[in-house]
Amino acid sequence: MRSAFAYVPRPGPLQSASPAAAVAYLGSLLVVAFLCSSPLVLAAAAGALAMAGVLAGAGRAVRLALRIGLGLALLVAAVNSLVVDRGATVLARLGDWPLLGRVDVTLEALIAGLSIGLLAFATILAGAVYSACVDPDRVLRALRPIAGRSALTATLASRLFPVAVADGERLRDASRLRGPGAAPVSRAALARRLLAGSLDRAVDVAATLELRGYGLGAPRARQIRRPSRYDRRFYAVAATVLAAAVGAKLVGAGGFDAYPTVSIDLGAATLTLSTLVLLAGLAPLRRAPSRRRAGPGPPLAELRGPAAAPPLEASGV
Amino acid sequence: MLAGRRIAVATALLWAALVATGCGLGPGADVGAVRLTVTHEFGAVPVLEREAEAKESATVMRVLESEADITTRYGGGFVQSIEGTSGGERGGRSYDWFFFVDGVESSVGAAEYSLRGGERIWWDYRDWVATSHVPAVVGSFPAPMSDGYRGQRHPVALVCDGGGSACGLARARLEAAGVVLAKGLPEGAIRVLVGPWVRLRSDPAAALVEAGPAESGIYADFEPGAGGVRLHGLDPTAADARAFSPGTGLVAATRHFEAPPTWLVTGATPAAVRAAAASLSEAKLRDHYAVAVEGSKVTPLPIGAG
Repeated sequence: MRSAFAYVPRPGPLQSASPAAAVAYLGSLLVVAFLCSSPLVLAAAAGALAMAGVLAGAGRAVRLALRIGLGLALLVAAVNSLVVDRGATVLARLGDWPLLGRVDVTLEALIAGLSIGLLAFATILAGAVYSACVDPDRVLRALRPIAGRSALTATLASRLFPVAVADGERLRDASRLRGPGAAPVSRAALARRLLAGSLDRAVDVAATLELRGYGLGAPRARQIRRPSRYDRRFYAVAATVLAAAVGAKLVGAGGFDAYPTVSIDLGAATLTLSTLVLLAGLAPLRRAPSRRRAGPGPPLAELRGPAAAPPLEASGV
Repeated sequence: MLAGRRIAVATALLWAALVATGCGLGPGADVGAVRLTVTHEFGAVPVLEREAEAKESATVMRVLESEADITTRYGGGFVQSIEGTSGGERGGRSYDWFFFVDGVESSVGAAEYSLRGGERIWWDYRDWVATSHVPAVVGSFPAPMSDGYRGQRHPVALVCDGGGSACGLARARLEAAGVVLAKGLPEGAIRVLVGPWVRLRSDPAAALVEAGPAESGIYADFEPGAGGVRLHGLDPTAADARAFSPGTGLVAATRHFEAPPTWLVTGATPAAVRAAAASLSEAKLRDHYAVAVEGSKVTPLPIGAG
């Protein structure tokens, strides 16, 4: 079964946009999350990324990222509350622990942990939406003029890794099919065989690349790709979000201090930034197809085309 | 069903174990009052004085936060400002907040310093050009001699080295302040050295004075002059600011590495040592790093702070 994070071509704006525009859009939401530590802005950025993913048709990837991200956020909050005993509001005293010393669970450490977890959560969401909605081949093609060798290496790696995984599965199946009486095959032996097979395949790939002239460094015809009509939208949203975040940072908005007591900035600038960031999640929204308003339109029979079956009346029904 | 019962039993046992080991919800019960003092400029400018009830989970930071308006840095581990006064550059000199508990500089941060009740916490905002390390001060007298420090009681040994009548005077002052003096010199004792400087200077802890404030945390020095040594007061930059008369004594505290504090009751002459011993009282030492004593006149050290 395909991974939930694997890229699936869809006709949505995010998939149709050029890789640079998609990366700028998703990157801007992530940059905002890293710029402003306020949980409110972080939640807005995570919400926007989740919304963008769902609107782009990557609901499965978003759901999986939500599961992983929320689990991670809760884990970070739990660990932070155990290892950091700063903060004025003590919720529980857990006595003296080996290595950790005296452990006091404080509200501030819990909220600080949740805030760090929320940032990790937003990062996972951004990665999931990027992975599911941005064509990796187009990204690598876009990188080729800048770093040709690196792009080629990344392309090969992205192709050969799943092949190696499949090889591994096949080897395991083969070892199982020898029957219950056969001696078990150790992991090390499997790994050795897999490595030998990968090296053989690498030699084949290198020979193929050489035959195709990759080693000559000859200039290739430049691929001209027309920019997508959605590019401007994503660039504009990214620029607006980034400008708002930088502006908010300059006026001191989006502040968050967990210690000694929790203080979250809920000023107008922070609320405006959070709303703007959340709304940015609507960027991949597809415009509804426009309906014809003038006149009754062509008769149904014309739309069916000349090769269609005769109308019902003509067939005597 | 059986699994649910097992989980319930395991949870109940875990809870019982946590309660038995002193765990619980909330900040815990009161453990006693602590005194919180906040000053500027080596104690010269008082800012805040509070008596606060400490809970089981109390730390120096939590007590400060509950009694004063503060901001912190580095994830809440470092106090940046108290009552609006922030650490940083002022007039080309570096200022920050430092704290002592029971007159001893802490080796851990305020957020990690657990309190047991009865402590004297002193936060001071000072210039640290000369030194950021002042291992001990006299301003919380009779602490640490009365109740120890860092939750441990230490015996207190009065060490007379040519102090003469000043030793008896020092003993009387210490006992009047509630200090129980040990017989002899037990291991791990807080020492109170009483005697003229020429005798005390051979002690490793006292000798730190001659290395300057960077080593001893004491803004004073004894320098040779006509007719013997004389006490000199230093300013916050460790520059020589004033030469005291030969009859001026010194009361100061320092630490030799991690050993318990050593108090110095000394002077150039027997009269100076007597003057220093006579000043061993809470009223004369309170909120001072060290003092120079001439007759009944007490001059806080460093000179010119505030």
